[in-house]
Amino acid sequence: VSAFIDARTVPEGTELQTDLVIIGGGPAGISLALALANAPFRVMLLESGGMTFEPRTQALYNGTKTGVSYLGLQASRMRYLGGSTNVWGGWSRPMDRLDFEQRSWMPHSGWPFGLEAIEPYYPRAQALCEAGPWNYEKAENWSPEQGAMIALGDGGVVNRWFQFSQMRNSYLPTHFGLRYADDLKRVRNLAVYLHANVTRLGLAHGGGKLDQIAVATLDGRHFTVKSRFTVLASGAIETARLMLASNDVMPTGVGNQNDVVGRYFADHPIPRNIATLVMFDGKVPPYYLGNQGMQGAVMRAGLFPSEKYRRTRAVLDSSITIESPTILDALGKAAVSVTANALGVNAGNAAAFTLGGGCEVTPDPDCRIALGGERDALGMPVVTLNMRLADSDLAQFRGTLKELGRQLLLSRTGMIRLNMKNRSDWLAGLDWGNHHMGTTRASADPKKGVVDANLKVHGIADLYVVGSAVYPTYGAVNPTLSIVAMALRLADHLKGQMR
Amino acid sequence: MKDLLTRRNILIGAGGAVVVAGGAFEASRLLRAHHAPTPYDDLLAQIEDRDSAIEVGKVLLADAGDFDAKSAAQVLRARLRNTTFTQAANDDAAHGRLLEAQGWVLPEAAAVPCLLAAKAAM
Repeated sequence: VSAFIDARTVPEGTELQTDLVIIGGGPAGISLALALANAPFRVMLLESGGMTFEPRTQALYNGTKTGVSYLGLQASRMRYLGGSTNVWGGWSRPMDRLDFEQRSWMPHSGWPFGLEAIEPYYPRAQALCEAGPWNYEKAENWSPEQGAMIALGDGGVVNRWFQFSQMRNSYLPTHFGLRYADDLKRVRNLAVYLHANVTRLGLAHGGGKLDQIAVATLDGRHFTVKSRFTVLASGAIETARLMLASNDVMPTGVGNQNDVVGRYFADHPIPRNIATLVMFDGKVPPYYLGNQGMQGAVMRAGLFPSEKYRRTRAVLDSSITIESPTILDALGKAAVSVTANALGVNAGNAAAFTLGGGCEVTPDPDCRIALGGERDALGMPVVTLNMRLADSDLAQFRGTLKELGRQLLLSRTGMIRLNMKNRSDWLAGLDWGNHHMGTTRASADPKKGVVDANLKVHGIADLYVVGSAVYPTYGAVNPTLSIVAMALRLADHLKGQMR
Repeated sequence: MKDLLTRRNILIGAGGAVVVAGGAFEASRLLRAHHAPTPYDDLLAQIEDRDSAIEVGKVLLADAGDFDAKSAAQVLRARLRNTTFTQAANDDAAHGRLLEAQGWVLPEAAAVPCLLAAKAAM
C-alpha cells in the first residue's frame, strides 16, 4: 500500500516520467486507473484537488455564461478526488442501442461505435457504481404487494427502471474518491498525485504527439510529466478548456484543427412540473414516487419513449418521472369528470401527481465552451459558456408527454395535463441534469469530431479523452454508468497499445 | 323532559320534519342549474356532469373560435349510430384524435359534448 502523493511536496522543476498519465480523478479516471491495476506499465493519476472540498481549488472551475439560464460552472462538479461523484444522485441506467446510431432526423448524430462496444463493460461498471444486480427491466412486476405497474395502452411510452448507486449499502451514492481511495493505494503500478493541476498539454514540434505536461499547485510549485500516453478525464468543460488553452504549438489548441473542441456542449434539461398525471383509481405504486429496495437493488420506475417510437416518430429520447401528489383545480376536476364519464370508468377516487423528467437535446455546434479573457489563480484562461436550448427539442418532449396521455386514455387508467405550452413556460421551471457532455465529441471523421472510436484524439498519437465529453449525442439517461463503462473499455484498448 | 315526549308532540314533530325535508328537496331542485333544450340534447344526454362539461367546453371554445356545433354534432351523432359513447372515446384514444383544454388531453368524443354544452350555455 502506498500513500497518495501531495504535489505540493514535489520539488520545483521536477520532471516525472511514467507510461500513462490520467488527468482527472473522477469516476472515469478512477475507474480507468483501477482497471489498469497490475498492468505491466506505470500509471500516474493527477488530481487537482485533495480528498475533500477546498474553496480555492473549487474556484478554479469558475466561468462566465451567456444565453439560456444555466447552472454556475463551478456547480455540478467537484474538484477533488471522486470528481462529480462527490455530488451525484446515484441515478443509473444504461444507454439504448438507438442512442449510438446515426439518425436521419437528428443533425450531427451517430457515434463511431455502437452499444455493443460498451455493453460488455456495463456489468463491471454497475459493480463499480455499486448499483446492485443488473435488474432494470427484469424488475417489471416484481413487487405485486406494492401494486402493479401503470397500465399503458399500446403506444410509444413504456415503463422502465432506474437503479441507484449506494456506497457500501449506505444511503449515499458511491463517492468514487472516498470509496476507492484504499483500492487505488493498493495498486502497485499506480502513483496518485493530489493538488496537481495540469495547466498545459505540451505538444511536440509538429503537433503530432505530446512532449510533456505542465503541472502547477496553488502554492506556486511547477513540475512536468513525460508520459508515453495521456488520458484526459477531467469532464467536458475542463477537458475542452485545457485543450483550447494549450495553444503554444497549435494556435487553435490541442486537437482543435477543425474547430470542434468546446462545441456541442450539452446538458439534459430537467424542467419541473411538466405535466399533471391523474390516475382514475388514485393509485400510483410507491416505486414510481421514490426509491424502493427491490430484488437486492434500489430502484425507481419511470416512463420512457421506446426505441421503436423514437425511430418511427423521429423524436428525441426523454425520461418521465412521477414526482408528488398535487391538487386539481376546478378545470382539472371537470376534465377528469367528463373524461372518465366518456371512458366509462369511475373516477371517484381519482388522484393527481406532478410529473418531472428530462430530455435529450439536438447537438448544437453553437452551444459552446470557449476561453474568456480572465485568468484564474493558476494563470489559466477562464471559460465562457454560450448555452442554448432549441424550441423544437422541447416540442418533441411535449409530444412524448402527449403520447403518454393518449396511452393512459387508451388503457382507461388515467389522463394527463400538459403544463408547458410555450418557451417561457419551459424556461420558467427549468433545471438541468448537471451532466456536462459533448465538447470533445467522438466521430470517425476528424472534421466532425475530436476523438475517434478508440477515444484517441484525431491527429495526436498519444492523447485520449474519456468521460461524457466524448458523447456526440446525449440520450436521456444519467451518464455516470456509461462513463465508467467507456473508461473500462479504454483500459482494454490501452493495454493493447502498451504491448 | 317527560312532558315533551307526549304522543301528540311526537306526531307534531314528525310532521314538521317531513315538511322541512320536502322543502329542502324542492329548494335543491330549484337551485340545480336548469338547462334549456338544445338541438343536441341527444348527445348531451351522454354527459353525467353537465356543469363540468360546460366548464371544459368553455376552455375548448376559447381555442376553437370557428367551432361549428352543427357539423360536430352531426359527426358525433353519426359515430354513435354504430358504436357506444365509451367505445367512441376509446377509438379516439387509439387513433390519436385528441383535443387539449388548457393542456388537459381529452378524446374528441369526450370533448365534443363539452363544446356543445358550452355553446348551448352561452
